[in-house]
Amino acid sequence: MTSVVLIDTVLLLLVTITAIAIIEVRNLYTSAMLTSVYSLLMALVWVNMHSMDVAFTEAAVGGGISTILLIGTLVHTAREEKPLKVRVHWKAAVVTALTGAALIYGTFDMPRFGDPKAPIHHFRVPEMMAQTVGFVNGTKGKQAPPEGFDARAYRSFNGAVTSVPDDPKDTAWRETSVLAQHGIIVPEVLGSHPQHAEAGHHLHPPDDFNGHVPNSVTSLLAAYRGYDTMFETTVIFTAGVSLIMLLRRPRREGQTQKSAPLLDQAILRVVSKMSIPFILLFGLYVITHGELGPGGGFQGGVVIACAFILYALIFGRPALYRVLPPPVIDMLTGLGVLVYSGTGAACLLLGGKFLDYSMLDTVSPGEGEALGMTLVEYGVGITVSMVMLNIFNQLAEEESR
Amino acid sequence: MHWNEIVTTVLLALGCVVSLTGSLGLLRMPDFYTRLHTSGKTDSLGQFLILIGLAFVTPDVLTCIKVVSVGMILMIAAPTATHAITKAAHLHDLRPWTRSDPGGEP
Repeated sequence: MTSVVLIDTVLLLLVTITAIAIIEVRNLYTSAMLTSVYSLLMALVWVNMHSMDVAFTEAAVGGGISTILLIGTLVHTAREEKPLKVRVHWKAAVVTALTGAALIYGTFDMPRFGDPKAPIHHFRVPEMMAQTVGFVNGTKGKQAPPEGFDARAYRSFNGAVTSVPDDPKDTAWRETSVLAQHGIIVPEVLGSHPQHAEAGHHLHPPDDFNGHVPNSVTSLLAAYRGYDTMFETTVIFTAGVSLIMLLRRPRREGQTQKSAPLLDQAILRVVSKMSIPFILLFGLYVITHGELGPGGGFQGGVVIACAFILYALIFGRPALYRVLPPPVIDMLTGLGVLVYSGTGAACLLLGGKFLDYSMLDTVSPGEGEALGMTLVEYGVGITVSMVMLNIFNQLAEEESR
Repeated sequence: MHWNEIVTTVLLALGCVVSLTGSLGLLRMPDFYTRLHTSGKTDSLGQFLILIGLAFVTPDVLTCIKVVSVGMILMIAAPTATHAITKAAHLHDLRPWTRSDPGGEP
């Protein structure tokens, strides 16, 4: 038994114990705190598996903001769970047990934990490890391509990707551009892209990353399945909008808002005042740095939302509304999705496909890819942080009613 | 064994001892305040010693700065959290334990 497996076993045991405790505990506040503990333990499991992005999301979303929102919800409901008579529903128990057994049976087909021969290490990932951001034909950027580096040969590594067309005169992409059809963008201009003009290099191979950003997770999330991420953002946006429709009522005239009850707590006030700028800075760093290291729009957005929520908790919501009036929060909620889809539309207008970021830089597809992903991450970050803030504000407003 | 490894070993051992006493105190102490006192020490001093110990074996300066700054943030955040919890308990009139008065909620 290796140390990784040993740590994993201990952590997963703790996760199981926590999960059982969450069900068993009667006090709902304890349950909410245990949910946070569960998320942090899961984050440790992900760290142990070296999937830092997932760990970061789990810690920020599961351990951080959901706990705040759960406790915010509990303010409106009872403190204790109603005692229920436990009655075993046999049919449901059989269905659950069968589903569980089928799922466990399904795992037998998966590669063993840490198996170097697993398909993921042969398909897709080797290509993504060949990072091409920052150099174009060895002229621009920080890093020259390795000696004898042949992107095309690398792509067909292991025979995994074979869909790169070999016909240099393949110009089907030009017909796909609406603007090119109407003569607004002259195809020859696009064709002068050095990498595109490279003999035998298809502009947009149908199954290719077109240059990569160093963090393969971000590359996958924002480029390879950029549509998914866009609609995830839209789902969060929709959740925020539904919450506003459900909970928001016109504010009554002359309604006095409670002054901040924590403002006379000197230590809390000073420490939060000191740390809020750093939390905001860290959130921005996480969003911007998402393409290079662990992080991205979702995590960074949650961190930024936490800074604002801390501000509202200590200095009162009137103070928060002076910084970010509710209409501005609502507008920013939509703006994030607009930035994301706008980036996609910009790629479309520049002659590429929707969300084909490599079109954004006329010199280097890799740099364009990095720029597009940064823009997209900002969009995700804005929407996520503002939706979280909106949820918190609505819950807090319900309380003061 | 290089000198920095010795420093790391000593600091890690100290951190582990502090964390262990914190955990033991959580089980052994009689009331809320004293339990929080011991577990708060695990959060601040125990973690801080472990992080500073690890800072001595970091491969480069940047990692070292990162580890130390995490330790610094922890040194500010953890006592603040302990303080906030204690204050909340105090404001809810939770009396501390004494030999004559077992304490508890009023």
